[in-house]
Amino acid sequence: MAQTLIEDSWTGENVSIAQIERELARLRHASAAGSAQPNLRTSVMTHIAWAPPEWESQAKDTLLGMAERHPSRTLLLVPRPDEEDGIDAELSIRCFPIGDRAICGEVIDLTLRGARAIAPASIVLPLLISDLPVFFRWRGLPPFRAAELEQMVGLIDRLIVDSNEWGDDLPGPYARLAELFDRTVVSDIAWARTERWRSLLASLWPGIAGVRELRVHGTQAQGHLLAGWLRSRLGHAIALEVDERARLEGIDLDGTPAPFPPGDPPNPSDVLSTELDRYARDRVYEAAVRSAAEQ
Amino acid sequence: MTTATEEQNPLLEGLRVRRRPDPCILVIFGASGDLTTKKLMPALYSLQARHLLPEKFGILGAARTEESDDEFRERMKQAVKDHGRDEFKQDVWDELAQGMRYSTLDFADDSGEDKLRDTLNALDQERGTQGNRVYYFAVPPSAIGTLVQEVAERRGAEGWVRLIIEKPFGHDLASANELNATIKERFQESDVFRIDHYLGKETVQNMLALRFANGIFEPIWNRQFIDHVQITVAESIGIEGRAGYYEQAGAIRDIFQNHLLQLVAITAMEPPIDFTADSVRNEKVKVLKAMHTPGPKHVVRGQYGAGFVEGVDVRGYREEDGVAPGSMTETFVAAKLFVDNWRWADTPFYVRMGKRLARRETTIAIQFKRAPHPPFEDGGAEGLRPNVLLIHVQPNEGVSLAVGAKVPGQGMTIRTVHMDFLYGGAFREGLPEAYERLILDAMLGDATLFTRSDEIEEQWALVDAIVAFWQRDRPSFPNYAAGTWGPAAADELLHRDGRSWRRH
Repeated sequence: MAQTLIEDSWTGENVSIAQIERELARLRHASAAGSAQPNLRTSVMTHIAWAPPEWESQAKDTLLGMAERHPSRTLLLVPRPDEEDGIDAELSIRCFPIGDRAICGEVIDLTLRGARAIAPASIVLPLLISDLPVFFRWRGLPPFRAAELEQMVGLIDRLIVDSNEWGDDLPGPYARLAELFDRTVVSDIAWARTERWRSLLASLWPGIAGVRELRVHGTQAQGHLLAGWLRSRLGHAIALEVDERARLEGIDLDGTPAPFPPGDPPNPSDVLSTELDRYARDRVYEAAVRSAAEQ
Repeated sequence: MTTATEEQNPLLEGLRVRRRPDPCILVIFGASGDLTTKKLMPALYSLQARHLLPEKFGILGAARTEESDDEFRERMKQAVKDHGRDEFKQDVWDELAQGMRYSTLDFADDSGEDKLRDTLNALDQERGTQGNRVYYFAVPPSAIGTLVQEVAERRGAEGWVRLIIEKPFGHDLASANELNATIKERFQESDVFRIDHYLGKETVQNMLALRFANGIFEPIWNRQFIDHVQITVAESIGIEGRAGYYEQAGAIRDIFQNHLLQLVAITAMEPPIDFTADSVRNEKVKVLKAMHTPGPKHVVRGQYGAGFVEGVDVRGYREEDGVAPGSMTETFVAAKLFVDNWRWADTPFYVRMGKRLARRETTIAIQFKRAPHPPFEDGGAEGLRPNVLLIHVQPNEGVSLAVGAKVPGQGMTIRTVHMDFLYGGAFREGLPEAYERLILDAMLGDATLFTRSDEIEEQWALVDAIVAFWQRDRPSFPNYAAGTWGPAAADELLHRDGRSWRRH
């Protein structure tokens, strides 16, 4: 990663959207001061992350790792519904050197206190960059059918979740997730993390065609998604057993370990970054989720 | 839903599986040269690091230099460390190096070819490459014909053979025709991959995206709206010890015949019906066929004298090691070209290329016609220049559009400002080197970004015509100082038309 050239920031409590826009403009102006050539404000998307306090730190780390690769306006929304009504903001401009210029993106951290956490769409809407896609990362288990999620689904182009973060309730929440498929494009980090294993399993065709038992040494989510994928692609029932691990470490097919896929697993920023490069609906994933939900 | 009973693998759907080439051996003729060290091996390492090479793969370096397998591997390892774009990782290198061999080869000696074949067959057995071969000819054009014959004679019954041939392809139309004929006697056109590495550059390919993926440009991409086009391929370096080659080639064969004419073709071509090799190349050939030979007044040649480049005192061309003191080799060419078709009639394409120019820069500038009647008060639009769409091929890859904007304050004063798209600003992935893309495409059998025989022939026909009228005069060389933008005559070429080269 290139070194951050300039990082300027501003914080405020009980702020308004107009104030945020005004301060952002000031920061942009200040970041270019003294440069021979103006910095470029480059955006390829608006990237929104919904991170309840317990996810805030991880969300910030991931965003830091990918800010350079996806110059964008990033909104980090931290809901604190139990606190007094209000919005606190921390705004920053992060610039990265490229030749004799600098590419700048904007990060808007908003703490939504009290009732402000109930209607996030009304806060996000005026901050979206026109005409660019909106990617929305929801940390943890989304409150399916709740107002805050429903509003956001209405204004985004892609919802990114990580069903690894959904605890022990799996596969139940997959049925609710599937209800969103016709309303927005959905990505799942847990699914993305199985990609190199899926490539490996695909390379075992046609020997894998008759597999009936799957044992996954990995997370619950990865087990359910891989089983759902194989069932939906191969068209027959497959029994699943999950040997729970923190990450996907192996797969047994009918009791025989599959070979290990080549290469190293990608880091969290790389995985999210790859998902942000995707725009089209993933029908294979949707079929895997539906199949997982039926179990 | 696809079911398991179907022949196709249903598990592949939705996977971003990049096509991986068939198992094969890459044979590099000219393995001791700079190209192998600086470009080919670093590119192969980057492909290996991204798991894009075949799982069953081997490399056989062949050159006159006496070298053992281990010495070759060690030299290539250093080359990757010195010139690679990726961080060196021992495990990636080990995987690549275990299939690497070297064969000393005297190109004039048949027994050397037999030894090479035996080494290849042994490597083929060891690596399981099924007789598939990619031969990379990183050797002078004079050596290629013989090598092609040798390769054909020793071709095995199994597997496919592909030939990657470095530029320059021939020295003139006659030699290019002769080489094409030698190749065509023994191989299909689809087996031949004539490299012009400019076509492997992301920004050159982005020109196709810019033109054919954006509805706003194509309607105005013609003589009605475009005043002229300027293409610059400028290098600040000199001949870098390659006097033997450059004295024979000059700027016209080194750059104009290949890179420059490819950039003209991509700028001027009609939309292809699809992105297959033949569709794209058919359209490029049409452009080359439509270019008429520029008259002597429309071509300027130059040779650099001593000067300063980036503050450093540098020698003139004739003082370079290996260059004849009275050399008449051109190190600079500027020309005014026309593409005689419905789209471009009477629209000049001003091109220039050269060594020891003020800076390294390859750009395509599309200059649009002026607004017909700026309705501003006198002097208000004095700072306004025509709109220019500028494609930065290298460095600072990207696109800029020069537009007029109001200067804040009282009155209506207009000034030209640039809207910039920097490639690296929106896509922060490191751009792959051109050779990575091209080597991989050749292994996959995709010739879209390679030059077809009829393109080469059209290019040489144009060059031969220019060189023919150069025989009739003897310009006063050197005629530009190193570190400048070329001879004054290049400026006059545009001034005569009431235009000027872009300001830098």
